[in-house]
Amino acid sequence: MMAKILVVDDSGMSRRTLRRILESAGHQVSEAEDGIAALEQYFIDKPDLVLLDLTMAGMYGIDVLNRLREMDSQARVIIASADIQSSTKALVEEGGASAYINKPFSIEHVLDVVNRVLQGGAGGAD
Amino acid sequence: MELTEQQKDALTEVINIAFARTAASLSELTGHRVLLDVPNVSIYPIGELGAALAEFLPAEVATVHQVFSGPVMGDALLLLNYDGAVTLADLLTEEKVSSDSLNASSREVLTEVGNILLNACLGMFGNLLQVHVSFSVPRLHLETLDALLRSLVIGSEGLRYALVVYTAFRMRDSSVNGYLVIALNVASLDRLIQEAEQYEERQWNTN
Repeated sequence: MMAKILVVDDSGMSRRTLRRILESAGHQVSEAEDGIAALEQYFIDKPDLVLLDLTMAGMYGIDVLNRLREMDSQARVIIASADIQSSTKALVEEGGASAYINKPFSIEHVLDVVNRVLQGGAGGAD
Repeated sequence: MELTEQQKDALTEVINIAFARTAASLSELTGHRVLLDVPNVSIYPIGELGAALAEFLPAEVATVHQVFSGPVMGDALLLLNYDGAVTLADLLTEEKVSSDSLNASSREVLTEVGNILLNACLGMFGNLLQVHVSFSVPRLHLETLDALLRSLVIGSEGLRYALVVYTAFRMRDSSVNGYLVIALNVASLDRLIQEAEQYEERQWNTN
């Protein structure tokens, strides 16, 4: 299932890594390097899925998640973060995130979670 | 400020687990086996930190700082000797960087690596101690050890003590050596010790 996916991360390294992983599975990838750009991009592109970092300058990922869900209550968002705390995972689940992926990324795990979320299931957490 | 043996044991155990997670993350990132020394836990007044760090760090360091806040707050630092930072960036970027400098792409890579490693360490702390910590955006600094210490002291008036969790990690087949330092204020240090002791209690009760 090919999808339009928006990758939001202030790290160019992480954006490149995710782009490579997602494009290898045939997905169409766009990028945003901060929260404001992400909201604009979401409004313009209406992607099928957003992969969203948490710790970013300007607008934090949790705030971006909340704004996205206000704009589109059906928005599918996977949090992709280095933060491995159970409490953070619980927080983003409450915020309506579909799944949680930890950095560093594993190709198989990213694609597995993305596919599950695109198919309408919960992606689970690391 | 002195730790009792029991406090030191509890903290060391928590730190061991957190650093193991950090080493695993570095190994996943680089594809290299990472060897970790047993962490050494010491507490220094901030004024004595320079002399303590100078014992094991070279004058020129590349550091990634990440301020964290919550019930336990402070400044976490990943320190690499400059040559090690160049080598690490080289391992993680496809294009080879010049052997003695860090270009913009290498700096970006190192910042993200620092972010991942510091989150792995502090996040595991949070999980084990059942406290939630929030992270600031990581910052890479290339500076002398003296400048690093000045920024730590000037930037954080409340930091009177540094819990120096010092472990050397080495990547097999490469020359990358690094250290992790966590600087805490007094209240946070007290809280961390309390939580570490409770962690030990919980371990005892569940076994």
